[in-house]
Amino acid sequence: MSAQNTSKFKRLTGDELRQRLKIKYLREKSNLSAKHPHVERFLKDKGTTIEGLRQHSAKLIGAGALTSALLLSAPADIKSLPAPHEIMERFSPPVFSGNEDLLEKNENKTVLVNLFESLLPKRTRPLSRNEEKVLEQVFNNVMGVKTRATLEGEHLNTTYGVIGAEQHLKRFPGDTVGEHGSGPILKEGIAPGLGAWGYLTPSREKLTPHIEETEKWYAVVQTLYLPDWGRRQPYLKNWYKFRKVLIVNTNNGNAVVASIADSGPAAWTGKHYGGSPEVMNHLGGLRYKKGTVITFFVDDPENKVPLGPVEYN
Amino acid sequence: MSRIFYDYLISLEKIEIEIKKTVELPEEREELWQIVDEILHHRIISVILDKLPQEHHLEFLENFHSAPHAESHINYLSERVVEDIEELIKKEAEKLTNEIIEEVLV
Repeated sequence: MSAQNTSKFKRLTGDELRQRLKIKYLREKSNLSAKHPHVERFLKDKGTTIEGLRQHSAKLIGAGALTSALLLSAPADIKSLPAPHEIMERFSPPVFSGNEDLLEKNENKTVLVNLFESLLPKRTRPLSRNEEKVLEQVFNNVMGVKTRATLEGEHLNTTYGVIGAEQHLKRFPGDTVGEHGSGPILKEGIAPGLGAWGYLTPSREKLTPHIEETEKWYAVVQTLYLPDWGRRQPYLKNWYKFRKVLIVNTNNGNAVVASIADSGPAAWTGKHYGGSPEVMNHLGGLRYKKGTVITFFVDDPENKVPLGPVEYN
Repeated sequence: MSRIFYDYLISLEKIEIEIKKTVELPEEREELWQIVDEILHHRIISVILDKLPQEHHLEFLENFHSAPHAESHINYLSERVVEDIEELIKKEAEKLTNEIIEEVLV
């Protein structure tokens, strides 16, 4: 997200900001305690706290007992799933002659968007395993990208959510936005901080086309909210580093393979993923800042799937 | 997966932008996100309980603790709170954003 129009704010150091937020937190805690003292007592008896709510939620859902979408949503959100072969019959087989190819491509996108409309609720929610299985099959057969909602036992915080625009990432010390291409794609600027895995390379001299592509097509996912993120380190951090994901815009069917290069966004932003300026441009155009997407891992053990737009058919 | 039933009503993006501008390291950023999360939960639970009649507090807390993610809590609250609970939570989150901006950032 662009950091413009915020000049009225003081330039605080990280420590000052932390201190001020802590004071605000203590004030909120004491207000709640004064008005509703039974909340703290209740949660304490249950062995949790308000501060630990998100971890408590992650633990409950991660325990497996609550993975069914039925428990997560109002019944109106759950739609009956057609058999996978019925779904696949809706898509055209590939045609590779002249303009028909383009026609088929657009038709398949329309079918895919219609499928999303019939399958998914308007408001994002975690998908059931069955819904994920259907979509894995569709992406595999229609786009030719083998994807998995759960890969090697790992699952994203959510697979159906809202993506928001991110800035360019600093690839090496001294990197500037001007070195990330030209034209309107530079408008988002460059993030002042580093990605979750730091610089992508130690110096400008070591920048390779592969690293350039990784930053160009990068994604942000909420690793920090994974139920066992703190417990399974450094394994998880290494597993997620530059892991490929397929991101599909549920409103127009545009799809892109991206590489996970940062952690976020915060849960209280209403977003679940982030995309580089290039990722967002491909998903919805230069003005696309936020929208609903499906995000699955790309099952690519031989590292053959290229990063970037997926042109299906 | 971690999810709180009112997440979809909350958008404190302005705060996120400022945190990103202020801290460079991802670990520090996540620590500050966590503090904002804690501020938010205290405030939203407080406003819910302010509006929910006292006799339902314990039942709500039991339900909430059993499944913090379940959006059915919105239905439960809607049936017992006079005001539009979704609107109430949204407005409180907006109010909180402004407070954080005024008290912390300006």
